[in-house]
Amino acid sequence: MATLEQPKLRRAGRWFDVRHRKLGMWAYALNRISGIGLVVYLYLHLVVLSTLSRGPGSWDAFVSLARQPYFLLLDVILLAGILIHGLNGLRIALTSFDVGVKRQKALFSALMLVALVALSAAALKIFGG
Amino acid sequence: MENRLAQEMMENPFAEEPKRSSTWYWQIFTGVALVLLLGLHFIANHFIATGGIRDFADVVSYLRNPIVLVLEVLFLIVVAIHAMLGVRAIVIDFGISSQAEKRLSQALTVIGVLTVGYGLWLTWVIIH
Repeated sequence: MATLEQPKLRRAGRWFDVRHRKLGMWAYALNRISGIGLVVYLYLHLVVLSTLSRGPGSWDAFVSLARQPYFLLLDVILLAGILIHGLNGLRIALTSFDVGVKRQKALFSALMLVALVALSAAALKIFGG
Repeated sequence: MENRLAQEMMENPFAEEPKRSSTWYWQIFTGVALVLLLGLHFIANHFIATGGIRDFADVVSYLRNPIVLVLEVLFLIVVAIHAMLGVRAIVIDFGISSQAEKRLSQALTVIGVLTVGYGLWLTWVIIH
């Protein structure tokens, strides 16, 4: 358990350690981890798109790489991040305007179930099911 | 008192009062916009671009569609704002001084503007 006596950095860094925490802490940590992941993806995406400025050759080479099975796994991970962050974000938006505050644990669970179903469907589709 | 509040927030953020700062509302506004824009982005990618965007020529003709261009540029701007505000929130959580907070905001503004600028430049190069 983090207390104010601990060094600042270690205390602030404790949010992602969700062991023995309540559901709300899971929601908070999941939102941050997926958020950081999506920022990293944003810049990877921009770097990859820069090959477009060097003409068809380098772009088409990347596309054939991106269609390899192990690369498609990265797509599934990306989609997981988007679904978790986006759907949990809708909960945060609602509760910020005092909608569903009392039922937000149920709301969170339901939204994560939607994310799981959508992710499974997409994964089946991506891997040619 | 302060100590106890911090403790409770670590235990259960659901108990936390919603933060009602202007950056918080910006984060929600851009977040909801991103859900909509990403939905439109998926629809545009899979249904407007018939046969999918498979090679370089497909990307060029996709971006030359004015509706797609507006959609993608808007997506870039909104995602940059949302990402910078998110990074700001995480860094501020480490308990930095108000001086450092100001510098952080300035740095993230510069990074955000550069990111959007780079995206716009790239888009310009691709469609010309």
